[in-house]
Amino acid sequence: MKDVFSTLHPVVTFTYFTAVLLFSMCFMHPVCLTVSLLCSFLYSVLLRGKKAIRFNLLYLLPLLLFMAVINPAFNHAGVTILFYLKNGNPVTLESILYGIAAAGMFGAVVLWFSCYNAVMTSDKFIYLFGRLIPALSLILSMALRFVPRYKAQIQVISIAQQGIGRDVSNGNILERARNGLQILSMMTTWALENAIETADSMKSRGYGLPGRTSFSIFRFDRRDKAVFGAMLLLMAAILTGAAAGFNTMRFFPSLKLLPPNAFSLGVYCAYLALGSLPVIIDTAEELKWKRIKSEL
Amino acid sequence: MEAYQIRALSFAYPLREKLALKNINLIVKQGEFVTICGKSGSGKSTLLRHLKTVLTPHGTKEGEIYFYGRPLAESGRRAQAARIGFVLQSPDNQIVTDKVWHELAFGLESLGFDNKTIRLRVAEMASFFGIQTWFGKDVAELSGGQKQLLNLASIMAMQASILVLDEPTSQLDPIAAEDFLGTVKKINRELGTTIIMTEHRLEGVLPMSDRVVVMDEGEIIVHDTPRRAGEQLKEMNHDIFLAMPSPMQIYAGVDSTLPCPVTVQEGRQWLDDLPIDNKALREAPGAQCRREPALRTEAGVPPVIQLQEVWFKYARDLPDAVKDLSLEVERGQLYCIVGGNGTGKTTALSIVGGILKPYRGRVRISGRDLRKMSGQERAANQPALLPQNPQLLFVKKTVELDLYEMLAGKQLSKEEKEQKVGDVCALAELEGLLQMHPYDLSGGEQQRAALAKVLLLEPQILLLDEPTKGLDGHFKSKLAGLLKKLAALDVTVLMVSHDIEFCARYADVCALFFDGGIITQNTPRAFFSGNSFYTTAANRMARHIFPAAVTIEDVIEACRNNL
Amino acid sequence: MQEQSLTVSSRNRRTLVAGVLMTLVIPATILFGVYFLGDRKYYFISLLIVLYSMLPFVLVFESRRPQARELLVVAVLAAIAVAGRAAFFMLPQFKPVAAIVIIAGVCCGAEAGFLVGAVAAFVSNFFFGQGPWTPWQMFCFGLIGFLAGILFKKGFLKKERLPLCLYGGLSTLFIYGGIIDLGSLLMFTPQFSWPALIAIYISGFWFNVVHAVATVFFLFVLSRPMIEKLDRIKIKYGLLEP
Repeated sequence: MKDVFSTLHPVVTFTYFTAVLLFSMCFMHPVCLTVSLLCSFLYSVLLRGKKAIRFNLLYLLPLLLFMAVINPAFNHAGVTILFYLKNGNPVTLESILYGIAAAGMFGAVVLWFSCYNAVMTSDKFIYLFGRLIPALSLILSMALRFVPRYKAQIQVISIAQQGIGRDVSNGNILERARNGLQILSMMTTWALENAIETADSMKSRGYGLPGRTSFSIFRFDRRDKAVFGAMLLLMAAILTGAAAGFNTMRFFPSLKLLPPNAFSLGVYCAYLALGSLPVIIDTAEELKWKRIKSEL
Repeated sequence: MEAYQIRALSFAYPLREKLALKNINLIVKQGEFVTICGKSGSGKSTLLRHLKTVLTPHGTKEGEIYFYGRPLAESGRRAQAARIGFVLQSPDNQIVTDKVWHELAFGLESLGFDNKTIRLRVAEMASFFGIQTWFGKDVAELSGGQKQLLNLASIMAMQASILVLDEPTSQLDPIAAEDFLGTVKKINRELGTTIIMTEHRLEGVLPMSDRVVVMDEGEIIVHDTPRRAGEQLKEMNHDIFLAMPSPMQIYAGVDSTLPCPVTVQEGRQWLDDLPIDNKALREAPGAQCRREPALRTEAGVPPVIQLQEVWFKYARDLPDAVKDLSLEVERGQLYCIVGGNGTGKTTALSIVGGILKPYRGRVRISGRDLRKMSGQERAANQPALLPQNPQLLFVKKTVELDLYEMLAGKQLSKEEKEQKVGDVCALAELEGLLQMHPYDLSGGEQQRAALAKVLLLEPQILLLDEPTKGLDGHFKSKLAGLLKKLAALDVTVLMVSHDIEFCARYADVCALFFDGGIITQNTPRAFFSGNSFYTTAANRMARHIFPAAVTIEDVIEACRNNL
Repeated sequence: MQEQSLTVSSRNRRTLVAGVLMTLVIPATILFGVYFLGDRKYYFISLLIVLYSMLPFVLVFESRRPQARELLVVAVLAAIAVAGRAAFFMLPQFKPVAAIVIIAGVCCGAEAGFLVGAVAAFVSNFFFGQGPWTPWQMFCFGLIGFLAGILFKKGFLKKERLPLCLYGGLSTLFIYGGIIDLGSLLMFTPQFSWPALIAIYISGFWFNVVHAVATVFFLFVLSRPMIEKLDRIKIKYGLLEP
């Protein structure tokens, strides 16, 4: 399935990721955590396919387990003491549960960020901040162009070194390090000297004149408005829930959850809707295509 | 209307006594196409940089430059940024941002246009240049030729009325260069943009130019239409002729009262008009040229480089870069591989150099497999490769330190080292440049310094990748002299090149590379006179009369003998 | 003379912005966090303070409308710091970022040092993935470069190998290692506690030591040639001219 959510206006996608990331970090309620974890997992698989599943199971899961275990070892707050460690510190039910919750939270954040990285490409970021911080976003754009160029140049230099009989991948650690430094040093000279021409080209094209504008190829269209509106509504609902205390739970000194009611269920549904928004949009688009194809 | 009027301009760089520009007087009219030529270091670039205030170098300046009737300095930065477009040499260095669309808009952003105007201008330019398909791409995905076109387009989007180009094709391969120059001509013809450019690939540029300015030692020595400039230079008998197109060089070598030809087509006409005794030619076609020795193969001695049915690809899923390549080079030969871009020439060179390993076939150096040699033997036999970009070999802050760096690991006394460095400096004519920073040298000087570094390895086999790229005629003949000296020392040279004229003139053997392998090989004369398209300009011009004449000298000699 | 007054006024503005942040915004953030964020307060307060501390640099840099060559120096050095890793593909865990940031701070001033560090961290995460660690890394590398520039200006740090190596080792070990580990602790614990902090420092110790050793090594070998190159380019660009 091709991702349609990432074709939305950068303002929409950026707001979305900011919201889900902040919500995931703040809302430690079990339902909220589950919803966030589930939605981020689904979207990351949708975006990155099998690779995402393997990464999630192979690296993320053990990390989360480790984090869940480590918390009660150092955090001894809580009233429900289960047993004592050898050094005399108590292990509490609260700290175990908090460890699990924190691990879940961290997992959701990492997963959301992996989606963010796939959707918010550098040009979108530069567009968003081009007006606000023009000089720095230009630096960013230049650096992003230079990094692959320099990496390629490092390759070319190391081949050229082999061509005069200096094999860079052989030898012991010290020799390798020396070769690497030699190449890095050559690349630095090359980069700095050649950048002078880049500065000339910028000056020649009027960089530094007052009143510089920032061009973009993005347009905030009706679809963006609709999605943005829906997003804002959902966020408002979720924040109302947060203000009422439905989205968090108290871990210390003792566990405390507000009892669920119709309102809180509504808030959780809103959270679920927000979290699965990209997946919903993508699925709707897929169905639309199927329909158009069948009508042909 | 005069776009530029330069009056008595002189200029000297700081801390240097010699004037870089001496009393330049020049008028460029609106809509003209002016080509400035001269050896490197003759002040061409310095003159061009005076045409735009932000790029003018520091130093002491006298004289005046008028831009549309007013002193240049008076027209503000904004007007200059928009109206005077500048394209520099390196396609890569001029690009600022990481996306094609952003690069196209960069100048317009500086000028403060709103989104709508920029969108329109960018769309116009992309359509005019036929680059709309790359619009959303990363700059890194483009080829060198495409990058240079992008630079041109992003300047034209600012609606420049003057386009100044400083050797814009020197880093491009011939096909991309042709493309680029065609676009420049199109801009001149269809938009009426004034073009002022320096270039050393004059074959393609001179026929397009309205006027030629020839510079030497900071002075303008000739300033006229291409045809008349050729005639004047012939009278002056100036060595700048090495850079002129083949028909003009042939014209200069033959006594005649006919007008100077500029293109190959005019050259053919010119030859037809010469009073040549056609009867003798018809009776013995091809006999008019010196015979060259047939390809020699010494029996019993293994060739220095031998490739047998070599296959190579960069990754398992990629197509073959080198296919079924067989090749033999004898000791002391200068073996040139010519052929188009992307045919695998450079890959083949890396295979010979032992950098890339073929997955099938054999590579033998002096009859033995490189990989089976011991470390010491290998070091003695390993070919040395001079990369396309000489900057890839510079490590230190002066040329001298860079040369000594090559000997750093060797067990030699100080005197021996000095001896070796001194020898190689004499060979590569580096005296006087030793204390310079390698990056402050000109292209030709960098090439020689890099070659000197490689020669300090005392290789028996030298591999050269496009050694004439970006060099002017003068430096090319210096390089040829150097290669001759090496051949006398029994060094075997294998080079790949796009430069047909150079190979035809200096090679012992030429081979045509196509689709990953060598299609044909022969001595240059037999090789090029057998081709119809892929041959030298001199041969294309004269083949209907002297089929075996390949180089400019051949044609001149044949003409002289038959007049 | 003009240059001097320019830098003075920009420094004053930075001090002013910093002052406002410290006296008003940061206490407000802390109060907000304590009252509204419950268990997550430590993380969010620290994160926001990290972000605030970068703000003055951004504002000052933008408001003085830097020239093309200044932008290029920062972009080139940051890109070298990121791409430099590729030269050591055969030696994992060898990251030259901190070394190059320090050299930038010493050669081009505290502001450039900060920017090179922050941009390098940010750009490198475009290739390795952004995450909750991004602002912390930007802050740490920025701070290392900034301090290098300040210390050099005050005369505590010289363009010599030994002081640079000493500063490099200590700053990567304590500033980078110390703050990054603190950040990751606050990310997943409800309360700040010293034993937990010590535990995380111990668990990350060898990792940080390798990083510090790499930085010292890079500075030992690279500092002299890199400083030479930068000084040369400063003359060639005319960065020393007004």
